[in-house]
Amino acid sequence: MTWEVVLRVGLVAVAFLTLPLIVGQTEHKVMAHMQARLGPMYAGAFHGWAQLIADGVKFAQKEDVTPRAADGPVFRLAPAVALLPYLLVLLVIPLGPGDLVGQQLDVGLFFVLAVVGVGVVAVLMAAWASANKYSLLGGLRAAAQLLGYELPFVLSAASVAMAAGTLSLPGIVAAWQPWWLLWQLPATIVFFVSGLAEIRRPPFDMPIADSELVFGYMTEYTGLRFAFFLLAEYVGIVVISSLTAALFLGGWHGPWAESVGWLWMLLKTGAVAFVVIWLRVAWPRLREDQLQRLCWLVLVPLALAQLVLTAGVRVALS
Amino acid sequence: MSIPGAGLGKGLAVTLKTLVTPSTTQQYPDVAPELPPRSRGVIALREENCTVCMLCSRECPDWCIYIDSHKEEVVVPGAARPRQRNVLDRFDIDFSLCMYCGICIEVCPFDALYWSPEFEYAEYDIRDLMHDKDRLGEWMATVPPPPPHDPLGEPSKEETAVAKRASAS
Amino acid sequence: MTLQDVLLAVVGLVAVAGGVAVVSTRQLVRAGLWLVVALGAVAVEFLLLGAEFAAWVQVLIYVGAVVVLLLFAVMLTRAPIGPSTDLDRPALPAVLVGAAAGLGLAALFVGVFGQFQVPSPAVGTAERIGDAVFGDWVLPFEVLSILLLAALVGAIVLSRPSAPQETPVAQGSSR
Repeated sequence: MTWEVVLRVGLVAVAFLTLPLIVGQTEHKVMAHMQARLGPMYAGAFHGWAQLIADGVKFAQKEDVTPRAADGPVFRLAPAVALLPYLLVLLVIPLGPGDLVGQQLDVGLFFVLAVVGVGVVAVLMAAWASANKYSLLGGLRAAAQLLGYELPFVLSAASVAMAAGTLSLPGIVAAWQPWWLLWQLPATIVFFVSGLAEIRRPPFDMPIADSELVFGYMTEYTGLRFAFFLLAEYVGIVVISSLTAALFLGGWHGPWAESVGWLWMLLKTGAVAFVVIWLRVAWPRLREDQLQRLCWLVLVPLALAQLVLTAGVRVALS
Repeated sequence: MSIPGAGLGKGLAVTLKTLVTPSTTQQYPDVAPELPPRSRGVIALREENCTVCMLCSRECPDWCIYIDSHKEEVVVPGAARPRQRNVLDRFDIDFSLCMYCGICIEVCPFDALYWSPEFEYAEYDIRDLMHDKDRLGEWMATVPPPPPHDPLGEPSKEETAVAKRASAS
Repeated sequence: MTLQDVLLAVVGLVAVAGGVAVVSTRQLVRAGLWLVVALGAVAVEFLLLGAEFAAWVQVLIYVGAVVVLLLFAVMLTRAPIGPSTDLDRPALPAVLVGAAAGLGLAALFVGVFGQFQVPSPAVGTAERIGDAVFGDWVLPFEVLSILLLAALVGAIVLSRPSAPQETPVAQGSSR
């Protein structure tokens, strides 16, 4: 029993360490080719497959600088706080049918939403403790953005939970049916868009807008701590992609789901992650007011309408 | 642009098209670049053609050609008196000054200077960019052969002269 | 003393220590961060007691939203790094009032509920809480919803800039 738990946690840790690297490498290459470049070609000899490992080694060698004016303990703690929520979330995302999941949790969806919300605290900690006006501005932007987008994020997730009649992530995936793609389409879009905003990816990267805020709340970070923030960003992509795949795209559903369900889940996650990268390349950054307008005037009403629709269909079906 | 979001769709389409189009990047140190045959890489010197007329040195806009020479008497059998001949002692081009205008090559009346497409002669010290006549001579091997005449163009002066002489005799 | 009891006590101590740190630290933003520790420890207490749903609600609402809002507000106005010297906090009365309130509440709870033997409840799943809220307690729940809605509308009305030419009476608050 305990061995099984250790094994599961170990496997999730492996996924936590490899999937973000794969996503990061894919981003390097896809982004390069979308911009008619080649991207990394040297590290690892074959098309630069080891670029991120080389980056990790580089980060580990760099000096760990804490600014003199910074609030040391808070400054040093922030990267860990940023990384931890995503690690916890990965525990409950179902990979395949049955109990192919890190940890069966009765209120898995709720757990995910709650824990992802904690990431804001890390951003505020990093922003404030850096003693840098750009960092603080970036942190305030991030907090405003995350507080706003939390609402459509939770509401659209609530819609699918209502449709499935359970809060457990494996339960939702098991209850999923192909026609939900159409029925839950608005919720899918709202969830994906607000998820993008939650992980502060372009076009929602106003908090770290490098052309105006240097790098937002990450400006003062160096070495491994900075690498932690970057890792958190890529784990965030994995988490949001896999959540979108599990909640709205049917997770492990597909032909021969019983045997290769996990492959379907990984493929769907990869496809969503590709879209995340694609949007970064193709779209310009949203201005701060456009960002809030999109959230409150488009996504929240859309999510609420979807909730009404979901409730109506549920009542009509039962 | 009447449909809202059309621009966003176009952005996605453009990037996707670029993604599936092979990149034209040349992996330079691994793969030699494909340069046009007449590329202006470096100036090569055919020493035996040089008569030390100094035209190149005088026409050079930034004075980067340095020429030293001395006169030698050549006794030509059957001639009334020995001929004088200029012998090249030094022919240096300072490539830290050269701006690759090619005027020296244009003005050389005896075809002693050529463009070579060779370009990998960077140095760690700027003073090492002063190339002497031996170095410039080495590059003659890399000078591509002159392009063939345009088959539809006028024949060269030499050809017409030969043809005229042949028809006259 | 089971392992759960020990953990409960330890986490409770963490929560109390966090709470004390909130009110005793002289650094404004760190007080907010200690609040995260205190509230997070309370969430862990819920988890240890089997109230899974309440625990995650605690994290979502208090850690994820309330504290963030608080920190956000502090950082928007004034958030110096290092101790603030101008904090006006008389220590002795605060300790007295706090200790009196805490001890009084403890005495009250022990006195009122001390003799009851409560059966260990089943795990507080979302389903059971949903049944309870929308079954037995549906009327208070709905009344609370209406109260919250009224508060929401009231907040919006208060924060809206009043149109000057139409409502000349509501000028009193303009500063």
